[in-house]
Amino acid sequence: MRMWIYIVRRLILVVPIIVGVMTITFALVSALPIQDRLISSFGPPPKNAPCGYSPVCPCSVFGLPQAGNCTNPLYQRDVNKLGLDSPVYVQWGIYIGNSLTFQWGYVDNHSGASSADSLIQGEPVATVLSWLLPYTLELAIFSLIIILIVSIPLGNLAAVYRNRPVDQASRVISFSGYALPGFLLGTFLLMAFVLGLGPTFNGEDPTCKAQSFFQVFYGSWPSQLCYPNGQWPSWLSKGVITTPTGFPTLDALIHGQGWLALDSIIRMVLPALVIAYGTIAGLLRFVRNSMLEVMNLDFVRTARSKGVPENVVISKHAGRNSLNVTITVLGLTFAFFIGGFPVVETIFDLNGVGRMFVYALLAPYDFGLIFGSTLLFTFLVVFANIIVDVLYAYLDPRVRLG
Amino acid sequence: MSAGVTEAPAPLAEPAEAVPVARRGRRPNPRIAQMKRTWYFLRRNTLAMVGIVILVIFILIAIYALFQPIPWTQLQQECASSGLYPPVNGCLCTYSSGTVSPGPNCYQTPSGYPSDIAPTIDFSHGTLGPLPLGSITTAPSNPTFYNIYAGLLRGSDWSLGVSVAIVGTGALIGLLVGAISGFFGGWVDEALMRIVDIFLSIPQILFVIIVIAVLVALPVFQPFGMRVALLIVGFVIVWWPFYARIVRGQVLVVREQKYVEAAKASGAGGGRLVLRHIIPNSVYPIFVQMSLDVGTIPLLLGTLVYLGFPVFPTIYFPEWGSMAALSVYSGAGASTFTDALLTCQFGTCVIPWWQFLFPGLMLFLYAISVNFLADGLRDALDPRLRR
Amino acid sequence: MSAVSQPLRDASPLPTEASFPLSAPAPTTPEPIPATTLSSPVVLDVRDLKTYFFTYDGVVLALDGVSFKVRRGETLGLVGETGCGKSVTAFSVTRLIPDPPGRVISGKVLFRGIDLLWGLDAEAKIKINPKTGRAKVRRSFRRIKAGLERMSAVRGRGISMIFQEPTQAMNPVFSVADQISEALILHQGTHLVDEMMSATPDAPEVLPAMEALVDVTRAGGDPDTARRAAAKVAEAVHLPSFGTQSFYLVRDSELSSEDMVRRLQRGLRRTYLSRMERRYLRYRRKRMVIEDELHDLYLSEMREGRVDRRQRRILRGRRTRLRLGGFYYGVWGIRGRIQRPLRDEAFWRTVGRLEEVSIANPVQVAKGYPHELSGGMLQRVMITMALSVEPTILIADEPTTALDVTIQAQILELMRELKTRIGTAILLITHDLAVIAEVADRVCVMYAGQIVETARARDLYTHPLHPYTQGLLASIPNLERPDKKLSSIPGSVPDLIHPPEGCRFHPRCPYAMPVCKEVRPPTTVEGAEHTVACHLYKGTVAVE
Repeated sequence: MRMWIYIVRRLILVVPIIVGVMTITFALVSALPIQDRLISSFGPPPKNAPCGYSPVCPCSVFGLPQAGNCTNPLYQRDVNKLGLDSPVYVQWGIYIGNSLTFQWGYVDNHSGASSADSLIQGEPVATVLSWLLPYTLELAIFSLIIILIVSIPLGNLAAVYRNRPVDQASRVISFSGYALPGFLLGTFLLMAFVLGLGPTFNGEDPTCKAQSFFQVFYGSWPSQLCYPNGQWPSWLSKGVITTPTGFPTLDALIHGQGWLALDSIIRMVLPALVIAYGTIAGLLRFVRNSMLEVMNLDFVRTARSKGVPENVVISKHAGRNSLNVTITVLGLTFAFFIGGFPVVETIFDLNGVGRMFVYALLAPYDFGLIFGSTLLFTFLVVFANIIVDVLYAYLDPRVRLG
Repeated sequence: MSAGVTEAPAPLAEPAEAVPVARRGRRPNPRIAQMKRTWYFLRRNTLAMVGIVILVIFILIAIYALFQPIPWTQLQQECASSGLYPPVNGCLCTYSSGTVSPGPNCYQTPSGYPSDIAPTIDFSHGTLGPLPLGSITTAPSNPTFYNIYAGLLRGSDWSLGVSVAIVGTGALIGLLVGAISGFFGGWVDEALMRIVDIFLSIPQILFVIIVIAVLVALPVFQPFGMRVALLIVGFVIVWWPFYARIVRGQVLVVREQKYVEAAKASGAGGGRLVLRHIIPNSVYPIFVQMSLDVGTIPLLLGTLVYLGFPVFPTIYFPEWGSMAALSVYSGAGASTFTDALLTCQFGTCVIPWWQFLFPGLMLFLYAISVNFLADGLRDALDPRLRR
Repeated sequence: MSAVSQPLRDASPLPTEASFPLSAPAPTTPEPIPATTLSSPVVLDVRDLKTYFFTYDGVVLALDGVSFKVRRGETLGLVGETGCGKSVTAFSVTRLIPDPPGRVISGKVLFRGIDLLWGLDAEAKIKINPKTGRAKVRRSFRRIKAGLERMSAVRGRGISMIFQEPTQAMNPVFSVADQISEALILHQGTHLVDEMMSATPDAPEVLPAMEALVDVTRAGGDPDTARRAAAKVAEAVHLPSFGTQSFYLVRDSELSSEDMVRRLQRGLRRTYLSRMERRYLRYRRKRMVIEDELHDLYLSEMREGRVDRRQRRILRGRRTRLRLGGFYYGVWGIRGRIQRPLRDEAFWRTVGRLEEVSIANPVQVAKGYPHELSGGMLQRVMITMALSVEPTILIADEPTTALDVTIQAQILELMRELKTRIGTAILLITHDLAVIAEVADRVCVMYAGQIVETARARDLYTHPLHPYTQGLLASIPNLERPDKKLSSIPGSVPDLIHPPEGCRFHPRCPYAMPVCKEVRPPTTVEGAEHTVACHLYKGTVAVE
């Protein structure tokens, strides 16, 4: 019962944060020139609009007898919709209302993003992002699994066997992981593979050698040059299924395409490793330090004096308590974790919200996508923090009271 | 440490001013004693010392590069005035239809074709040093040269300078906000911490990008010099919440210490209390975070350039992250990373590996040495590791 | 007359399946525990225990040759100032000294004939740098791990401990019942499982007994009658813990009789074991038996000093195979549910134990978490946990220091009562002379890592021999003579890294003689069970 109250209270606390984030993006959006704002909010002007979004137009275009310029009704209407000539708080209200109802604008036809991916031209931003979110989520879940599986046991071991080889190894990992951000590590890895360090599929053609190994792990399908007789390997098929759930792996499984699901997972291995490496670097030290602290606490001594075998003392008594700190730190570094997605998705050419964000940064910025992706990522961070807090309350009964 | 012996819990840090009486004789200043102790622990930590040594080398390089006789913009003018192709995108000299006309800081490969792996040096023009680090080249169709060695040296300047500026400003703002929030408590604390939470919920990279993307359009930031300021302002906006949160946590603890009570009892008012007692004792955790951030920021800059975001005023900018990131796109003239790699030939990859390796290595060394130092600082300043 | 102990008549095996007069709700009269006399066997014999801590500032000579004996059923007090090494002694005996800084260097600790420090020397090689005073310790982690495994055979079963800060001593994320059940299942598991498997919930006497209980409860009256009725229910079911459960199920309840009976029947459901559950219980019992056999093996190793590698390998192999086989229960995901009967049984036994230490609402306390309880309550819980397995000796490390005086009195009373009932010896460590006067039979006075005087409690207070003891007693404020100046022992506790030469007390001793600065005084016998280590006395040197 207390748990539910805690969850509800936590959810209520989220609202001001979300509104606050939207306020920040509102502040930034307000600094944009009006033309950009109009395009990103309502999409490109319809074809039959004579003057587009310009504020004034020669009156003759509208069939009016006066000379000179008249105000463009399209412009006027859109400005009214956004409240641009109203006081700031009205604009703010309209913006928050739009954001909360997922009306994040439209993709600009002439932006870099549209030229990179023609499918998205003119679509609402929220819709585009909803197509891509499952890919990012799959990658995120995969990375998180790797992170948890590696960092918690390794950190515990590093604390228990302090200053011994395990500890030194964990230190190497955490230091190097800090100094190798996404693009450095990714590029180093790719250079290693592409420069011929991978296994040979068919020995002669080095192009094929590099390509085939590379292609197994990345988005593109192998060119038919590389395989004898131009045959595809049987387990690679030629598509990605996105019904009903939108998650490629799940959908492949639902449709019974085991190999396709396996392929989609294999494609995420390297990117997940790169993302996980960065996060593990930070987390490992924390896990180790918190475990060291916990091992010196009184109740561990009590458990030992009860006759509990040592491995149970470490794993059950000490481990459970250090898990709290670990989970909290994971929540705090979630923002940093998410920030690695644009780079990794770009390097490894995966679909996803991160890559769309990068496309949005190509030559003419697509502000709708930029701010939309930012909001989406922030929602993810906030959501993850909620989960972390709830998990923390579940693990530590002392928290449930307050 | 003897088990089971009851000891009073160790205070978080030596109180900066335990008893505010006039100094008589030679009583040691506790703050200096604290610094000495920290230095003693740092010295014992091999990794931290390695980090410090490497950082000192970087600082020396930066100073050396500062005093190079030819500044950046002057090079551009020199190229232009000597009748070469107008400098494009920050190149120093250009190669046009068979003849290479190098400028004072330009190296020439033996065959003149830019994609050779092992460039040699033309000593007659070497003013910035003999290291055979090669050059960054643009697409094979329009090759231009750019001195990697010069870039490495200059990059030191940039990485250190910009990082220190950002970290210093951010820490200052964060310190103020955190101290106010922690000291006054109540609704001030709540409100400020909510704001900090909001800022911290937005992933750093994205936040920096959107801030800079919006601010770059503002007319105040157009001139070249102001672009640097734009960078710093953008980063500071994103970074100050980290410090605010750390400082507030520490202030909350320091506030309860006995010496603060003693100072209050002897009549210290709000401002004096904050300035003289609370802030000096709350800054310690910031140092660790500051040193970590000094390492992270150049990495972040590189990531931004990698994402295609025009952080710097020109494309080929002498900064490690920029050089490393752009080397990926440069050789292929391709628009995506995948395309760039797809045209890779065995052995002569169109990512000119030397263009990526040296700046990348410098970045890595810099970051890891900073991390060593930060880790050593953390261990040295941690009061719970009672020795 | 000397302190030479008589040889132990029997090195009786540790209780693995003891009888539990405590588990019945109604107090039965236990067999009388014989009073402790000189001829009682010595259960704990500590000889010349040395423990050092290796720190950056040098080697802390925390314990420098500590010797004492504890007899069966007696309470030995260990008194001294803060920092004199009392707690270190306790931890050294059970090898709980945290290893990076500290190690037990030498000595013999015989617990009922078992050498607890066996194998300790082989764990580490220590080299002391004479110039800096720092030491280099090379540890063999394999041996340390083996040593810890051996100690877990003794800890909790033969020797129990309770600690100083009860609010920190329990794990905050597990409920109180979980933690006490852990000890119960660990040490009395086979008995638990046997009782569970032999329960007879279907016996014809059960329902009438339950109805009788309901009648008694609804009729009001004193709880003892209800308890007796509950005991009859337990008898009918052949499961003592169900007696506790039924007592609390129907207590304070305004339900109708039918509802109460239904409640009881619902509670009875846990004693019906499905086939899977029975299989699981048999598996657990096998594991417990293997653990017991391993522990017995370790104990015999420590007793005789001989290692039976073959047997150890056999037992460990069997244990590993059992563990691997246990994945079967985990794989099916039913482990949580399958463990429920065992956990419930342990829960109700815990409630029964908590009853005995006069905790008013044991069910809520058991279900709750440590942070919900007060210090005094927690210390009772800790005592329950420590004594529930009837250890031979209870080491209490300043159990009342963190509590206020009224609670202190309750706790001491509790310890005294439990001691009479079970016959546990108590090693009571404290700095409070009043507590010692209340509870202890004999007292050892410690100073700076050495025992300076040992005597019967009464003798110590009436004829203190050592100057330190005299100073301690003299410094107690005397209510009868309020104008007498408060006296204290001049000086302060010495630095244990560079302790004084000779007798460690000589800098503060009013009777110091030249010989005190050079030679450490031997322990001499000065009366019936009264030994002292001081050059002032020239009795016969105690033979260890």
